[in-house]
Amino acid sequence: MKNVLFTSAVVALLALSGCSSKEPVVDAPVDEKVEQPVQEVEAVKTEEVATEDTSVLGENAANMSDSNEMTIANLEKELLSVYFDFDKFSIREDMQNNVANDAKVAKGAPANLTVKLEGNCDEWGSDEYNFALGLKRANSVKNALVAEGVDASRITMVSYGESNPVCSDKTRECWSKNRRVDFKLLP
Amino acid sequence: MKKILFFLLLLSSFVHATNATIEVIKKVDALPTLALEDASINYDDTFRLQFFKSLVADLNVLALFNVDRHYLKNHFNSADVLLENNKMDYVLRYKLSQDDDGSLNVALLLLKEKESVLSKTYKIANKNVYMFLSHSIAYDINSFMGAASVDWIKKKVVFARMSEAKKSEIIIADYTLSYQHVVIKDGFYIFPKWANKEQTAIYYTSLDNGKPTLEHIDLKTGKVSKIYSSDGMLVCSDVSLDGKKLLLTMAPNGQPDIYSFDIEQKKLQRVTNYSGIDVNGQFLDNETIVFVSNRLGYPNIFSKNTKTGVVEQMVYYGQSNSSCSVNGEYIVYKARESSNAFSDNTFNLHLISTKTDFIRRLTATGVNEFPRFSRDGDAVLFIKNYKAQSSLGIIRLNHNKNFLFPLKSGRIQSMDW
Repeated sequence: MKNVLFTSAVVALLALSGCSSKEPVVDAPVDEKVEQPVQEVEAVKTEEVATEDTSVLGENAANMSDSNEMTIANLEKELLSVYFDFDKFSIREDMQNNVANDAKVAKGAPANLTVKLEGNCDEWGSDEYNFALGLKRANSVKNALVAEGVDASRITMVSYGESNPVCSDKTRECWSKNRRVDFKLLP
Repeated sequence: MKKILFFLLLLSSFVHATNATIEVIKKVDALPTLALEDASINYDDTFRLQFFKSLVADLNVLALFNVDRHYLKNHFNSADVLLENNKMDYVLRYKLSQDDDGSLNVALLLLKEKESVLSKTYKIANKNVYMFLSHSIAYDINSFMGAASVDWIKKKVVFARMSEAKKSEIIIADYTLSYQHVVIKDGFYIFPKWANKEQTAIYYTSLDNGKPTLEHIDLKTGKVSKIYSSDGMLVCSDVSLDGKKLLLTMAPNGQPDIYSFDIEQKKLQRVTNYSGIDVNGQFLDNETIVFVSNRLGYPNIFSKNTKTGVVEQMVYYGQSNSSCSVNGEYIVYKARESSNAFSDNTFNLHLISTKTDFIRRLTATGVNEFPRFSRDGDAVLFIKNYKAQSSLGIIRLNHNKNFLFPLKSGRIQSMDW
């Protein structure tokens, strides 16, 4: 129903814009006759359901995929980012608790979920070096997780360098928030 | 007498200061003077002024003239130069005209002591790419003056621009970045590098599908092909002069190292194997690469002979030297000079030679990054961030002059020339 509403709204808008573009709209008299221009409007937006999606499985299947996503979302909330010092990739003393917590969550997560570590940096540093620094940070976290008993084959890593900031102010507090490793769980 | 001379020199340096806004390093010298006379027909004043500004900037970058910045009009066939330009050594008179098909024509006359010494015509299909015409005019005038080649003025720049977190696009531009054309967008694409000296193809890293992938795009056909992919990180740091070999920074096991990749044979070879960070590999000669490593506890510039395995520290100045570009015997690198990690005036570019102990500081203020040599080594392109303004900089090494072009475009991630 929503689709139908949206489509008719689009058609109406297109038709209206078609009329108004014929004449300048400035102070146009209300009763002026406007000829309907011959104009091709944009095709009506449609949605096609792929063949593999057309088959409706049992209630259970739908529930299972939903619950899987919910499990991932819930677990990701429990995973705490690990923060680093300027130009360093060793895990700080005050971050040990975060790592221990993350190891516990990762070990408790279903075995089919992969843990993806995303290394990030602040804007101070050079392009390639920053990417490598982000990766070494992810690698430090990986080693710590493995030491705490997480299966190494379940962990993947990627570095985003300085291109995935959570904060863009030019302050020390902001930069320190960007020097971090984030966690993602992948099915 | 000496005092008077000094005073005159000082005075003339102030006159220059008001005249040449894009010059950073000024010196009092006896460059010939050059003024421009616009004899255009067809175009409005806005466009004419745009063209004039572009031409003035290009002629300045040549570092051969003291270019007058006053916008003046004259007739193209006028026998005399304008009164204001009577004392100029050179006058460049030009006429912009539009063809029926919309193409832009330029007729050009270079006058020396009022006599015509050079005459040329140019044509370009679309007036929006007028800056390339302006660069060509500067190139020809440089050749006419018999100065060292400025081939780089016609070369294109490719760069990646961040639009938001984990979103970026790849853009091709002229050397001043005033013309910009987005070639790849709607994704996460970084570290573009020209694939050949003809600049018809680009290597870049795609982070779109989670796993870093090196891709190649042919700009003529638009065909994209995957070259290699690896977990962690994957960057094309340098392309050999013949375009047959790449230096990659990869970290298949969480360990960033430099690898050499043979394009024809699809053969990968590990070049460095230090347990810290090795990145930014650059070809120095057939046997040696230059790279950035933190093997002394901070990022610095090293070389490695791939035959003998000997590693040598190249730079002994700067507290954190985290990127470099190599041309022939020269290395330009970015150094953090103050020990305070977050102070102002933090990153400057320096030039060293592998043959001498000579170090030359190339920039004086701000955060200067992404240094890239031109292919002929005559100029260095870089980005300067100073007092909330980003600019593109050109360093003319042999003229000891830096030229800055203010940038409006967002944050640049990486750049190649």
